[in-house]
Amino acid sequence: MHIPDGFIPISQCIVYYVIVIFVGYFAVNWAKNNLDEKQIPLLSVLGAGVFAIMSMNIPIPWGTSGHMIGSPIVSILLGSPFAGFLVMTVVLIIQALAFGDGGVTVLGANIFNMGIIASFLGFYIFKALKPLIHAIPSVFIGSFLAIFITSIACALELFIAGTFPLTAGLVFMGLYHFVIGIVGEGIISAIVYMAINNLRPDLISKKSLDLKRED
Amino acid sequence: MKTSVNTLEREARKKSAIHNLDSRIKLIMTLIIIVYGVYTTNLLNLLLIEIYIIFLVFLSKISLKYYLKRIVYILPFGGFIAIFQPFIRPGDILYTLPFGLSLSYQGVQFGILLLSRLTVSISMIVLFSSSTPMNSIINAMRRLGFPKVLSMILSLTVRYLFVFFDELDNIRNAQKSRCFNIWNHKISYMWILRQLGYTIMMIFLNSFEKGEKIYFSMLSRGYNGESNQYIEEPSMKHINYFVLILTIAIIIFIELK
Repeated sequence: MHIPDGFIPISQCIVYYVIVIFVGYFAVNWAKNNLDEKQIPLLSVLGAGVFAIMSMNIPIPWGTSGHMIGSPIVSILLGSPFAGFLVMTVVLIIQALAFGDGGVTVLGANIFNMGIIASFLGFYIFKALKPLIHAIPSVFIGSFLAIFITSIACALELFIAGTFPLTAGLVFMGLYHFVIGIVGEGIISAIVYMAINNLRPDLISKKSLDLKRED
Repeated sequence: MKTSVNTLEREARKKSAIHNLDSRIKLIMTLIIIVYGVYTTNLLNLLLIEIYIIFLVFLSKISLKYYLKRIVYILPFGGFIAIFQPFIRPGDILYTLPFGLSLSYQGVQFGILLLSRLTVSISMIVLFSSSTPMNSIINAMRRLGFPKVLSMILSLTVRYLFVFFDELDNIRNAQKSRCFNIWNHKISYMWILRQLGYTIMMIFLNSFEKGEKIYFSMLSRGYNGESNQYIEEPSMKHINYFVLILTIAIIIFIELK
């Protein structure tokens, strides 16, 4: 889902940058007010962890593979979508500048997709569903929908940029990420949440903790 | 991936005219060239820029094999979309293929433009990242006015990146020694997913635990939430400004020619 350079015209790139800077302002404020100094090293190490996770291939039934994005589960574990946003911003900046994965001019668009849409959707869907159903299925649905809708947004952006036709983009991106969303993001995030919930529940933010846990 | 992470730093720590440039200047140059590459629609301009980049690559003494390998590794992601442009873009039909596919003139034009833009931006970013250590990239960003909190998170992330790739490698080796293979069709798919989930969970747990440890070790060295860093890089020399002005001049010349 990393859009490369040249796929979005400069004028539209600026729009995404403006949105990202706007959200970034709130995220930095949030970090100042809600994060004690202890959590800043945590965010950075999580960034390194998410980086490693992104390089892990997860098999998909048709012989291809995909990888996890990780911002929904980070937001859920830390209890705020801004955490996912910050971690993702850091990861995407390093990927763009040091690895050439995703472009520099489109960095704004990439952060908008994977940092903003995915984190906020993942977290708020989880939060809305948690009281209704058990926490683990809501992690699954939240992460899955986050990735699926992000891919749709990505297809829309490429359409607005005039790079890819709408229907073909929606079909390709949608189908591929529908499967990745279920397998790579949804199931894996649910397993991660379940395992951390069992082993170290103290690490999960109180807002996201599964209270019905059997001890 | 892990080997690429390590070779990346090995190449970036060589010595050459390009390596010795100030990382801020290199960052600004990279941004200017990429923005111009995305902005221009003239193929000749893109070709001239590419020639300038290749000239810089020769100056930088980066191993060519390594350089090309990295470009070839990155290109497919966007190249795929560029190559399909002739088939999906409406326009004057050049050639009709079976199954209702047709090549359009506008599509071919646009595809070539996309591919050349992609080549210019990727070759520049690969040159930049193989001639600048990651730490200097972050320092350059910090010194150019990137928000303090974010640049601190960035510099710590870069530091721990390598640790995590090692850790991931350890987990993978341990799994490999038990004959674990994600493509094995004889074991249940859900089981494979669960193992991968546990691997990822281990990385998360490690992150949490390391984060705590790092915090304490920083605290014991006087960390108070503010980050003031000593930067070892020397101050700007005149040659740096010269290279920057040269680059801008070349771009203006290409645009106006």
